[in-house]
Amino acid sequence: MIRLEGVSCEWPEFAIRDITLEVPDGEYLTIVGPTGAGKTLLLELILGIHCPDKGRILLDGVDVTRMPPEKRGVAMVYQDYLLFPHLDAARNMAFGLRYRQIPATENESRVQQMARLLGVEHLLHRYPDTLSGGEKQRVAIGRALITEPRLLLLDEPLSALDWRNARRLRTEIQNLHRIKKLTIVHITHDLAEVRAFGGQIALIDQGMLKALGNAEDMLRRPPTVFAANFFGCVNVFEAQSTEDSAWVRSGPLKARRDGPAASRFQIVVHPDEVTLLPNTVEDGPNRLRAVVSSLTDEGNYVSVAIHVNGLDEPIIVYTNRHTVRSLSLVPGSPVAADVGENLHVVAE
Amino acid sequence: MSGIVESPVAGSAVQRRFNLNPTFTTLLILLPFTCVCLLLHRLVLAALFPVAGLVLLALARPAQRRRPDALFVGSALVGSVLLLFVILPILNLFLTTGGSSIAAMARDKSVDAALEVTLGAGLISTILALAAGVPLGYVLAREQFPGKSIVEGIIDMPVAVPQTIAGIALLFIFGRGGVLGAPLYTHFGMQLSDTLWGIVAAMLFVSTPFVVNLSRDGFMSVDPRMEYVARSLGASPVGACLRVTLPLTWRPLLSAAIMAWARATSEFGSIIVIAYYPKSINTLMFEWYNFFGYAHAKPLAALLLLIVLGIFITLRTVAATRRTVHARNRT
Repeated sequence: MIRLEGVSCEWPEFAIRDITLEVPDGEYLTIVGPTGAGKTLLLELILGIHCPDKGRILLDGVDVTRMPPEKRGVAMVYQDYLLFPHLDAARNMAFGLRYRQIPATENESRVQQMARLLGVEHLLHRYPDTLSGGEKQRVAIGRALITEPRLLLLDEPLSALDWRNARRLRTEIQNLHRIKKLTIVHITHDLAEVRAFGGQIALIDQGMLKALGNAEDMLRRPPTVFAANFFGCVNVFEAQSTEDSAWVRSGPLKARRDGPAASRFQIVVHPDEVTLLPNTVEDGPNRLRAVVSSLTDEGNYVSVAIHVNGLDEPIIVYTNRHTVRSLSLVPGSPVAADVGENLHVVAE
Repeated sequence: MSGIVESPVAGSAVQRRFNLNPTFTTLLILLPFTCVCLLLHRLVLAALFPVAGLVLLALARPAQRRRPDALFVGSALVGSVLLLFVILPILNLFLTTGGSSIAAMARDKSVDAALEVTLGAGLISTILALAAGVPLGYVLAREQFPGKSIVEGIIDMPVAVPQTIAGIALLFIFGRGGVLGAPLYTHFGMQLSDTLWGIVAAMLFVSTPFVVNLSRDGFMSVDPRMEYVARSLGASPVGACLRVTLPLTWRPLLSAAIMAWARATSEFGSIIVIAYYPKSINTLMFEWYNFFGYAHAKPLAALLLLIVLGIFITLRTVAATRRTVHARNRT
């Protein structure tokens, strides 16, 4: 288990400010945030390359704040692999074995075993400059895992790979996490990765922890305006409080808020939770009258923008081709939209 | 400095980037050789270079025979004037000195003794410069600290200080009455003025910038995160340096050693101030030139050039060798 307590570190370009968080054993934590938010610095603080100005870092309950990296048992994989160019893949992977209490005779079998797990057995005698990006990243992950670290740090491990390779390696990392019950802290700025990995999400901005929570919750019900923006919520409408303090309103949208009083509210409408209905349907709660303003075929779904009186921006609705056909939707068609009970209110 | 160090690699990179014709480059570079030989009335030699160039051109694959652009031709022609300026005196020295007189020089006892002093002191000063300069280069490459630019300025200073001034300044410190020289003499019986150690001190002073700057640049070319990774895998700071950083920087470090050694053995001004004796080769040459004139000193100069060029080219070739293991594995 890793625990950060009020960790702060000020650098001229980056900073980490008073971050407290905990990752239980076997958990997958994804750290997201805009470029320059201090994500890599945070990882390097955990790795032990830099020392925080304030706060403590605990690994399995032991204070390691001032412990050098070689004693922590934490491994890190960088976006640009950083394989040792003067060593072949096998010797890259075996690098850390010398420092573990492992008989040298076992080295080769361990390397073989790890190479088999990552599918790089045939590359063991190749040098890094002859490997492709995906192969390099596999070797780099193998080099980190072979030392059996208690915590694996991944700094955007997939972002330098093409999407096909990235998707394959993503599945492999997920499998490794599951099979080896590894505790992993993973930095990314790719929301597709965030969705795929699940687990916990920590959102960092300007060195501060802005939100922390379960991935599903965080993406569906972002706790702050910043989080809603960062996670790419499509339909976000500024809202005002009503006479009844339990509700907020934005034009025809009305949603219940639970949480403390705040100065600013936004209503989030998830595009996949809106149902389009024929315009002839009766009025009902959460049912809006709208006009289709545009349709975009996104491949696996159709994105329909509908204009609702009282809202400045159209509401984007994800639907399927069958619905588009059966409702004969074209730009200008009147339509009814059921936004359901799933309106989410973000307070600030 | 780094231009010389990196030339084999940098040259090919430039050719790739601008898609220039390598054979044409060879011809252009050979041009000054031809001019020099013509100036020295060595017609056969003069003909040899263009013939060699034409043979190269004939052997070249058609793709390499593309005509390069005017900017490149102009630059190469203007640049070759400088090359001419450097080659002319050196080649002239060889061509106008008989092989037998050079051989006689090599057998001369006083020459042998002076060569021993110069090459030996050069070696010692290079080892000392590496021992302290490489760690300093490492610190400068890896750390940011207040006053770093001042330290770097101090390191560069010996390049700008006139040699005789450097000698006098060193003498004030290390001379028998100097701040450090006096206690060294009284407690250890060690003196620098007119000893081999004086020559070593003078050489060390002038070669320091080469070692520190070149090793710093070498270390800067290794991503510090490479060391972080090694540390996270269990290596101590020293282990990470020995297993990762040094294997990746041996070439720049060898270049640093070559440049330091070259600068040390060519030092003269500060050596005659600190230690006229034991006579080093440059002092001997100066003496012969002064007492016996130009003609007498010439064979010695030619011999020296041969030795220095021989060592320099050998070491350079080693430093420029590609990692053969890598080349084998390239697919």
